[in-house]
Amino acid sequence: MKGMLKGLGVSLKTMSSKKVTMSYPDMPVVMPDRFRGIQYFEPDKCIVCNQCVRICPTECITLTGKANPDPEKKGKVIDTYDINFEICILCDLCTEVCPTEAIVMTNNFELATYSRDDLYKDKDWLFANNVNVRQDNNNIGSPKGGAK
Amino acid sequence: MQHFWNDPLGWGNAGIFIAGAVAVLAVVIFFVTYAIYFERKFIGWMQFRKGPNRVGPLGLLQTVADVAKLLLKEDTIPSKADKGLFVLAPVLAFVPSFVVLAFIPYSMNLQFADLNVGFLYYIALSGITTIAIVVGGWASNNKYSLLGGMRSAAQMISYEVPLVMSIVGVVMMTGSLNLRDIVIAQEGYFWDWNFLPQILGFGIFVISAISELNRTPFDLPEAESELVAGYHVEYSGFRFAFFMLTEYIYLYAIACLTTLLFLGGWNPPFPQLDFIPGVLWFFLKFAFIVFTIFWIRATFPRLRVDQLMSLAWKVLLPLAILNIFLTALGIELM
Amino acid sequence: MIRTEELLLNVGPQHPSTHGVFRIVVKLDGEIITEATPVMGYLHRGTEKLAENLNYTQIIPYTDRMDYVSAMTNNYVLVHAVEKMMGLEVPERAEFLRLVVMELQRIASHLVWWGTYLLDIGAISPFLYAFSDRERILGLFNELCGARLTYNYMRVGGVKWDAPDGWIDRVKTFVKDMYVRLDEYHNLVSGNEIFLARIKGIGQYDVKTAIEYGLSGANLRCTGVDWDLRKAEPYSLYDRFDFDVVVGKNGDCYDRYLCRLGEITQSLRILEQALEQFPGEGDTMGKVPRVIRPPAGEIYVRIESPRGEIGCHIVSKGKAEPYRLKFRRPSFVNLQILPKLLIGENMTNMVTILGGIDIVLGEVDC
Repeated sequence: MKGMLKGLGVSLKTMSSKKVTMSYPDMPVVMPDRFRGIQYFEPDKCIVCNQCVRICPTECITLTGKANPDPEKKGKVIDTYDINFEICILCDLCTEVCPTEAIVMTNNFELATYSRDDLYKDKDWLFANNVNVRQDNNNIGSPKGGAK
Repeated sequence: MQHFWNDPLGWGNAGIFIAGAVAVLAVVIFFVTYAIYFERKFIGWMQFRKGPNRVGPLGLLQTVADVAKLLLKEDTIPSKADKGLFVLAPVLAFVPSFVVLAFIPYSMNLQFADLNVGFLYYIALSGITTIAIVVGGWASNNKYSLLGGMRSAAQMISYEVPLVMSIVGVVMMTGSLNLRDIVIAQEGYFWDWNFLPQILGFGIFVISAISELNRTPFDLPEAESELVAGYHVEYSGFRFAFFMLTEYIYLYAIACLTTLLFLGGWNPPFPQLDFIPGVLWFFLKFAFIVFTIFWIRATFPRLRVDQLMSLAWKVLLPLAILNIFLTALGIELM
Repeated sequence: MIRTEELLLNVGPQHPSTHGVFRIVVKLDGEIITEATPVMGYLHRGTEKLAENLNYTQIIPYTDRMDYVSAMTNNYVLVHAVEKMMGLEVPERAEFLRLVVMELQRIASHLVWWGTYLLDIGAISPFLYAFSDRERILGLFNELCGARLTYNYMRVGGVKWDAPDGWIDRVKTFVKDMYVRLDEYHNLVSGNEIFLARIKGIGQYDVKTAIEYGLSGANLRCTGVDWDLRKAEPYSLYDRFDFDVVVGKNGDCYDRYLCRLGEITQSLRILEQALEQFPGEGDTMGKVPRVIRPPAGEIYVRIESPRGEIGCHIVSKGKAEPYRLKFRRPSFVNLQILPKLLIGENMTNMVTILGGIDIVLGEVDC
């Protein structure tokens, strides 16, 4: 009996305690800066090094480059850049290896859509996804004092 | 209400009876709506949650929305089920639960039917619901619901025995089965209420009553974790709503009975507080019991089948019989 | 003459208390189980095979998804194996961070177990009590590494992130609060007579059986065997801290319950000491070659996950990808005793026993 009464006491005490429910859809949840949400991609920074494609564990990134339109500059610029969010696991490895921080994480996490087609995010979509961009990217994989 | 029963049945009388029934139904539906709402609220508060708060102000219309959803749902009957029995079971469960409400007095004059057999009437009718649950479990042609139905048959039959035995003490002290007489006999201060002289009977009654209601810690027939949902696995939509309604109406009935038999009904705890109407006292006690049942649900785990049975037959029943002897001894000595 | 027949009941893969997509086919005589056949593999994703085509950094997010209730320990077992193979030094601060997150993870994992176990037994509140506290741990992890469940936090040679400002203090406050909450948990259910009647003496086995079946973790310790890899074969920095191995006596569900709750207290003790000794500053990444290529050879590394001994066996041919990778998953091994325990029990005890083993289906099926 004693144990039962103790239990009843705990649940009665909890009745008046602070509630933990968040009014989520009404109030947006603020995620900490390091949160890994949908990527933001800045085409101008990209040097088409293909590192993100190679590191991606699920092979969800595809990109193509083209010759630089400015004939005086060497190297390539990005042509298409697609992330397939059907299989992206938001593991953060692509932003970790990116030498120029062309691809970075944002704090946006609301990915639900009505159609699978919407989950193919292309270059323009990723460029437009420019709110809540992560400040600290700490790309430990890139060489120190390298391409940056 | 009483004098109508003595008149011959005419159109006028019948109309009044129907109106009374509809009124009771309305009260009960209102109760069920808000019992579910408050159950969810209380349990939510006890779990650091807010409970329903989206539909209507403070979520007050949550149950209404839920019932509307149930009504709009497709009516499914499993193809291998026994159609007739499957359809019959919810009705068979609901009707007796509603009929038992007829004899409950809410205050000195507010009563639908004044029965001399009182409590026996409740026991006799509520037994039919057990059959309905077995029928529902059997007719679904589902192994989980069959197990649930069988469990509930065993459980409800076992617990009816100590339930009846536990109030024999009260009946002996009052000398009547009539609920109004029982309440009148408890007039005075709150220590004159039956729950103190009959403390053993009160305990047995509460335990068996919770078990009769199939509520935690005795919710084995619908034990979610092993039997998925027990006897109503295959029921959906309105048929499920009827089972749910039945369950809550019995909660209402049992809470009323506990108030009447052990907590002095509409009597105030001190005769000095007489100026507050009896219905209000009745309601307060009633609400307290309902709250306690919700509170227990938020705290306790569930018993096992064999423990449940041995509790009924090896503990509660002997104690109830002992209680009868003790009461008899007490009456004899005093 | 009444004819009776056995009832063949298919429990799962969709069932509220199989904790995922696990299936048991039980033969019932009344409500008594006469035969039980577990069927697993519904969540098999071929992690080990996939790993053969991935380099070591890429495997880390896959290990998150094995035992998704304690992803940090899975991270650790992989990176620890690779580090051992390559003889890498891990900076002290990184090792401290790893230890702190692993112990937090152990608490979080035991909380999930506690909540769901009580839910199996029929008490609904503990589940939300446990999850509201686990939420705080997940919040801490979210601040630290940006994810709440699949952390991908550890790297070969260190950790990805250093602790953000004030994080250590927040963990300290959490540890302090958790002691209070743990007492509350005990008050809520541990003494409840119904609960005790439900789990005392259920699913009992002795030391010999436990060892024969290769059980580990609380499932082994409940029989009284003092075997915790943190003590027996100290890895990481566990030899620096003072803590006890919680052991039971009877080997029943109740002792397993006490072992797991006791382990929460011990983890809190470790955390207290670790946070006290936490180095002020330092690197979080050691010196690691750009491409991780362990030398040819084999290694088996084991650590104590919340569920038992999790091991990682790597066969390397000196390439960037493993030739063969094998995880010893404690849930999978612990589950093997289930058919033996279930015989002669009734349906209700089935749930109690299955919950007591503490399986995570992501790990069983891998």
